[in-house]
Amino acid sequence: MSTFSQALINGIALGGMYLILVLGFSIIWGVMGVINLAHGEFVMVGAYLAWVANEWLGSDPFLVVLPVFFILAAFGFVLQRILVNRVIDRPHLVSLLVMFGVSIILQNAMKLIFSADFRRNDTVLDGAWSLSERVSIPVTKFMVLLVALAVLVALHQFLQRTRTGKSIRAAAQNREAARIVGIDINKVYAITFALCLGMTGVAGALISPILSVQPFQGPPLTLKAFAITAMSGLGSVKGALGGAMVLGIIEAMLALYVDKIGTNLAVVASFVILVAALVLRPQGLFGGLRPVDATAS
Amino acid sequence: MKRLWALVAVLFGFGLLAAACGGGDDTTATDDTEPASTATEEAADDADDSGDSAEADEEPAEDSGDNGEATGDFAGTIRIGAALSETGKFSVEGKDSRQGYDAWATWVNDVYGGINVNGERYAAEIVYYDDESDADTAANLIQRLIDEDEVDFLLGPYSSGITTGASAIAEANNVIMVEGNGTSDTMFERGFQNLFLVATVASDYTKSGIESLAAKGATTAFVAYEDTSFPTAVANGAIKHLEDNGIEVLGVETYPKDIQDVSAIMTKARDLQPDIFVGGGHYNDAVLFVNSAKELGFDPDGMLITVGPSNPKLVEELGDDVDGVLGPTQWEATMAYEGEWFGSAADYAAYYESLFGEPPVYQAASATASALALHLAIEEAGAVDTDTVRDALRGLNVDTFYGPIGFDEAGVNRSKPMGTIQVQGGEINVVSPDAAAVSGLEYPISGG
Repeated sequence: MSTFSQALINGIALGGMYLILVLGFSIIWGVMGVINLAHGEFVMVGAYLAWVANEWLGSDPFLVVLPVFFILAAFGFVLQRILVNRVIDRPHLVSLLVMFGVSIILQNAMKLIFSADFRRNDTVLDGAWSLSERVSIPVTKFMVLLVALAVLVALHQFLQRTRTGKSIRAAAQNREAARIVGIDINKVYAITFALCLGMTGVAGALISPILSVQPFQGPPLTLKAFAITAMSGLGSVKGALGGAMVLGIIEAMLALYVDKIGTNLAVVASFVILVAALVLRPQGLFGGLRPVDATAS
Repeated sequence: MKRLWALVAVLFGFGLLAAACGGGDDTTATDDTEPASTATEEAADDADDSGDSAEADEEPAEDSGDNGEATGDFAGTIRIGAALSETGKFSVEGKDSRQGYDAWATWVNDVYGGINVNGERYAAEIVYYDDESDADTAANLIQRLIDEDEVDFLLGPYSSGITTGASAIAEANNVIMVEGNGTSDTMFERGFQNLFLVATVASDYTKSGIESLAAKGATTAFVAYEDTSFPTAVANGAIKHLEDNGIEVLGVETYPKDIQDVSAIMTKARDLQPDIFVGGGHYNDAVLFVNSAKELGFDPDGMLITVGPSNPKLVEELGDDVDGVLGPTQWEATMAYEGEWFGSAADYAAYYESLFGEPPVYQAASATASALALHLAIEEAGAVDTDTVRDALRGLNVDTFYGPIGFDEAGVNRSKPMGTIQVQGGEINVVSPDAAAVSGLEYPISGG
């Protein structure tokens, strides 16, 4: 029983990390139809910002999430205006390639600035809370989960209750109809991109005490975000939560209960679920703002 | 539309610029038509005219232009190629390896006065490419170094996975590759004639550490490793050494490359309560293991991690969390090795630090030792053709700052034992083997 409890705690903690990691990616894909291949690199930039704050000012990564959010959001707003907006009406491959280019630029730019050395951020929120001799809660990951849930609730409220949020959802559902009723699509997209990059930066700050920070950490994170989003539904806040938690718990259970190759199986699991979901339920396990099928946008 | 194209052009230019500067100070992207850079450009101040080295199969290339400015005239240039990971997962170790090669090139051109081939001095030039931490890319680059850059010899890339493919290309083209950072045993079970390793093979990485832990009373262990070439070889060797020393292996776990969470592995390890944890992977895995053990309240009496603990940067980043952790090391500056070239291990470290502003990690020393072994074999052979230099490498038996170098039939340096370090109060101290130890092994580690 203690093993199961620990696996569940590990899974929920991992799910929390996936949740904050996937939110920005999911909304950008769902609303704008852009597969942000530079997602992992924006996570990395957020992680570096938190690391710099820690090195220079001694700030804990959990204390800098708001500044990191605004810096990345401003960057996202500008990037959307000067770059993404220009290719958004083109075939999906164009935006895919553009974001891929951005990812390469960011990797090398960050390497120039910070070198390729691995960094690790310190937080006072580390260690473990022991529930029993064989069950403990990892403090850092638990705090990441709390922040991720707070961001999730705030995002949900923003999308459901504010005029801008409703505009974002409208733009996701039918771009032309949204234009016809007077919604400034470019502005909506810029806000969406800014918001999502802000959240992605927060993800970077939060995972900086968990994973090593280095310029080339992005691609595996992008891949994970892609798998969770396509599996659970594009642009769906609830879907992101469900997908992240389902995957986190399945991975943790497989890793703990399967001997020798459990952790390997856990990594494969996300892609098995992804393939199954795409074939059997292309709108995502939890339903999204749009189907994965690009031609339907 | 014009604005869009202008923007694309600007971005493309920026991308090229970023890629060109990606090596920190001197790297270009792999697809460039020119090599990333050459060591002599930096180290020997244009000591040669590299355009004349094309016919260098049998004799070193003759210089037609200005010769070395810093160290006097060279009779020609010996071109050596290397694909190293400037970017990607192995960029840290790749950079260390490159600095190791550069340390040799700078030393041989500026201090030693060039490679002595039958009384004539030749400049050494290393042609580098960035393999992006990718084995296929490295294999292509090795072919390119042989075909287009027409290098005389090759130095190894970083990691066993990359070296495995790269060395196959070298072997197929009958070009010698001397390396120090790809140590997987399986590479030397292929019957290759042209691959030489100055370092200790992976299966013996943990030998001295496990022997020391067993002597201190460890009786049970848990092993976790990344299921790629090098960590697998290390772990298989570790399991054998554990069993040979009477330590029971309670569990073995594997995990894939680029792992982001090892909680489950550490949970299993914690629940089995082994005396020691043996973790085999790469630098980033060491961070995950240490973090996760702390998160789960896993306090084994000893923790032996394959790559990471011997790197001062890990100690700097993880601080107290890494205290007590053991790690294998091919080489440390405190070891009592000495040779005619570079002097003692400490002398080499001082020289390296004067060049790069940081102390050498063992990957750098291994790289320097690889280049030095090749250099000494060329001098012994008095020629640069593959067959003669290969024979000279096989007959090599020298003491160096890196330890003794003497290759067996498979091309492995069996003369050098592997060392083990322990992080003690933020210091990286050699604790095994006894001959090289500067401090006693702390076991059990505090809190264990």
